[in-house]
Amino acid sequence: MSVKKDDHEPIRTDALLEKKSSRRTFLKGLSIGAAAGSAALTAGCIGSVEAATPEELKLRWQEFFKKNYRLMSQEEKDGTVARLERLAKMRDNIDLQMGSYPPLDGVLYGYAFNITRCEGFMECVTACVKENNLDRKTNTQYIRIFEMEPGKLDPSTGDGRYYHEVPVENKFYMGTQCFHCEKAPCTKACPTRATWKEPDGIVVVDYDWCIGCRYCQAACPYYGRRFNWGKPEIPRDEITVRQHYLGNRIRPKGKMEKCTFCIQRTRKGRLPACVEACPTGARVFGNLLDPESEIRYVLKHKKVFRMKEELGTDPKFWYFID
Amino acid sequence: MTKQLYSALFLLLCITLISDSGAASEKSVLDEINAAEDRFDSRAVPLFKQVTDERVLAHEEYQGGPFWVLARKSQIERYKCSSCHTDKSMTAQQGRELTHGNVILEHGDEGQGLLCIDCHHPQERDFLEDKKGRKIDFDHSYQLCGQCHFRQKRDWLGGAHGKRALNWAGERTVYNCTTCHDPHSPRFKKRFPATYSVELD
Repeated sequence: MSVKKDDHEPIRTDALLEKKSSRRTFLKGLSIGAAAGSAALTAGCIGSVEAATPEELKLRWQEFFKKNYRLMSQEEKDGTVARLERLAKMRDNIDLQMGSYPPLDGVLYGYAFNITRCEGFMECVTACVKENNLDRKTNTQYIRIFEMEPGKLDPSTGDGRYYHEVPVENKFYMGTQCFHCEKAPCTKACPTRATWKEPDGIVVVDYDWCIGCRYCQAACPYYGRRFNWGKPEIPRDEITVRQHYLGNRIRPKGKMEKCTFCIQRTRKGRLPACVEACPTGARVFGNLLDPESEIRYVLKHKKVFRMKEELGTDPKFWYFID
Repeated sequence: MTKQLYSALFLLLCITLISDSGAASEKSVLDEINAAEDRFDSRAVPLFKQVTDERVLAHEEYQGGPFWVLARKSQIERYKCSSCHTDKSMTAQQGRELTHGNVILEHGDEGQGLLCIDCHHPQERDFLEDKKGRKIDFDHSYQLCGQCHFRQKRDWLGGAHGKRALNWAGERTVYNCTTCHDPHSPRFKKRFPATYSVELD
């Protein structure tokens, strides 16, 4: 029989059906078919099955049939994190420290951006790219800084691709990223419930449930979401190994991704990478439910506005002036 | 007939009530924020990294509580100043090396900019001096800067100017004025941005 001698040869089902088969040959054909099927399932973006060890195949199989993150128990979350760490070790020999830590109680993250202070140095952008393991090949960036004419407050009127010495006289700079809307339109658009708002206000994506349809990208009025057209390429020594399942772990090809307020940092009390990198102190981050936080001071004492507030998306990202 | 009319009216009333309550539940995040008045103990948040830079307790208060500022003296190249500024005589050769020829003063309006002793203590060189004649430590230079830049200082105390070090939670540690600004020429220099952006897909 043709299927007997080579596993990689495509199985001709019509030939199998025509052949009068005994129970033994039938079962044999079935098992080979199942193996081929599982190969098709797991091969998607990871690589060929031939090179995979039995352990890797097993892990990939379990990964493929895991639940949506929100339906997992903490045990199951720990399980998938351990599998992803092991797979990264086996495939690329990288020691990841991935976490799945939950939101903090009594915390709702908010962000404020001082358009008087930002001078367009874009150090936030490079810090973000590095922290979040963004694809260097296509130059994916979550943050965009626009050079704006005075009096204009809509970034679509600004220049988002400037490259000259900054700051330029009589211009101001305005940054955009995911605004983590309370009534996020992107989460409603997702057909697989792969994106949602966490209790601490961060809009996240379960990259393993995302099917890459990009409906969310179309639904976002702020251009906050990015799509992976290819396998992300990151220099080995620049990979951030401290990762979160919903955060900066390396996204596979064909998945949506976005700013997560650096969930891997902020849930451990640390500032997002952009805030830490800002050389002019134009970025303020903190807990909106803490009356003593800096972000609350800004909301109370400064002139603030939100972009496209009239859409009713209720973003948790304010612009303010000194 | 009247019974039907009444039931129709009742139905209409129910619908209005339901839609009203629906509208009331459409609360903005601002309502939630303004309703949150309880103290949040951000020091209870487990941190994976503590501020390791040298810091001092500020001589000011933030929203009724103490806070830290990043220390400066350890960052000043030639501190302690009094190790050179003594009564001892020196040769002209030494003088050329030891004077502050590298300092470019661009602070204040053009033509009437500040001079060294506008901020530095004229006698005790290890200190600054404000316009009231008070001696000010280099680690607490915000006390000096704030006498002119009082708006910035107010914002800095509140958290709208400057920035926190490392963590949004935990004990509040903020950057000092001179951590970011060169006091001799405080405006940020023009330079090329760190990267560039490409067109979105």
